[in-house]
Amino acid sequence: MSRVPTYNLYMGCSVPANYPNYETSMLKVAEALGMELEYMEGVACCGSPNLRAIDYFGWLVVNARTLAIAEQNGHDIVTPCNGCFGSLKDVHHFLKHNIEHREKVNKELKKMNLEFKGTITPRHFIEALYTDIGIEEIKKKVTNPLDGVGIAIHYGCHLLRPADVTEMKPDVFDHLVEATGAKVIEYPLWKQCCGATVLPVNEPLAIRLARDKIKSMKESGAEYTTVCCPACGNQLDLQQLGLKESYGEVYNLPVLLYPQILALAMGMSEEDVGLEMNRVSADSILEHLSG
Amino acid sequence: MAETEQPAGPPETLVDPIDMSSLDRNFRDEIKSMPNGDELSACFACTTCTAACPIANQWNYKPHQLIRMIILGMRDEVLSSKEIWECLTCFQCQERCPQKVRVTDIFFDTKNLAAEEGKIPENIIGLGRALLEDGQLYTVTADWEREDMDLEPEVPGLSTDAIKEILKDTRTGRIAGGDE
Repeated sequence: MSRVPTYNLYMGCSVPANYPNYETSMLKVAEALGMELEYMEGVACCGSPNLRAIDYFGWLVVNARTLAIAEQNGHDIVTPCNGCFGSLKDVHHFLKHNIEHREKVNKELKKMNLEFKGTITPRHFIEALYTDIGIEEIKKKVTNPLDGVGIAIHYGCHLLRPADVTEMKPDVFDHLVEATGAKVIEYPLWKQCCGATVLPVNEPLAIRLARDKIKSMKESGAEYTTVCCPACGNQLDLQQLGLKESYGEVYNLPVLLYPQILALAMGMSEEDVGLEMNRVSADSILEHLSG
Repeated sequence: MAETEQPAGPPETLVDPIDMSSLDRNFRDEIKSMPNGDELSACFACTTCTAACPIANQWNYKPHQLIRMIILGMRDEVLSSKEIWECLTCFQCQERCPQKVRVTDIFFDTKNLAAEEGKIPENIIGLGRALLEDGQLYTVTADWEREDMDLEPEVPGLSTDAIKEILKDTRTGRIAGGDE
């Protein structure tokens, strides 16, 4: 690849507010691998599946607007959040295939001097990493590979499904984790939802889903887990601390945002990846780095 | 399918009859005209969606029953159900439907109809209100934490006005706006 790939970086609101460690490690990894991420200007929050639930048309317009802004410079969007990815990708897919709604949405966008044409693609950061940089290039930059420590992966629902919309294959994350020298731990509940979406209407159910997931990982021999979404991260990491009270169970399963693992394996420091911000202490990962 | 405890002896009725006078025969067409609802009638009640759903055993109405209820016209029961709001939107049901019924997408449609009638859980209205008033769902509270990690204190490029401006004129503004 001769040209440096350039992307419109869409952060959403959750990663910047709750996971600056995800944001900073993503930016550092991207820079080291020659991906140019440029923050988008003047873009709105995606609204999340909750907006889609109560106001489908408003959700279409908000996300079509973000896509139309990216079309102005022609670069694909990348985002580190499964929720934002799910919204942008679904709206993109829907408006590409539904002319009637596209015309209605474009009537609204015209008031902002914008038009949705569908000329760029919204993508998740880890998919861009996998497809545009590639596992071989990533491996060349791994100077301190992990020692084969077992990591369970939580893809997150909106990264994978519905597959005709997301166009994601459920092995991308596996290859990315293996590239760091870690061993991917298979576990029975790997497809199960983290529970984040049901949190506003049934908190005990949301916590139960997270707990079952963590339990399944731990019982399958995982020493760590990794996610690529702030909402999933919240469910597995922050909520894990509450399981002592609600279930009388302590799992002590550290949750890493994927770019943190990659950055450490590429020789960056624990300060570079904001390791102290991880709720369940993940410091022990440093002992698994070689070199 | 239902694995609830069976009372001893034969049940009073083999099938609980539906009150046909309360059916809304147009409900199926209403859903079919909504985004991704067009494959609704292809459902042959195989229950694969229910088998795929991680929380169906917590529900009175299972996913395949909700789809059947839509086709039959049980509009009030569907739009008043807690189930549509508890849907995880994990898309496991939709992904496995052999008839390509977009089950999860259809549940989104039912929520939009319920919202139009004001049948929305209070916390979900609260999220709509947050979008209208703050223009975002999560706000940076610890800017020093961002600065510690070499990031700008505020989120670069985020416009809170854009979403407020759009949503005040759509359903969100009607159901969560403070004008009344």
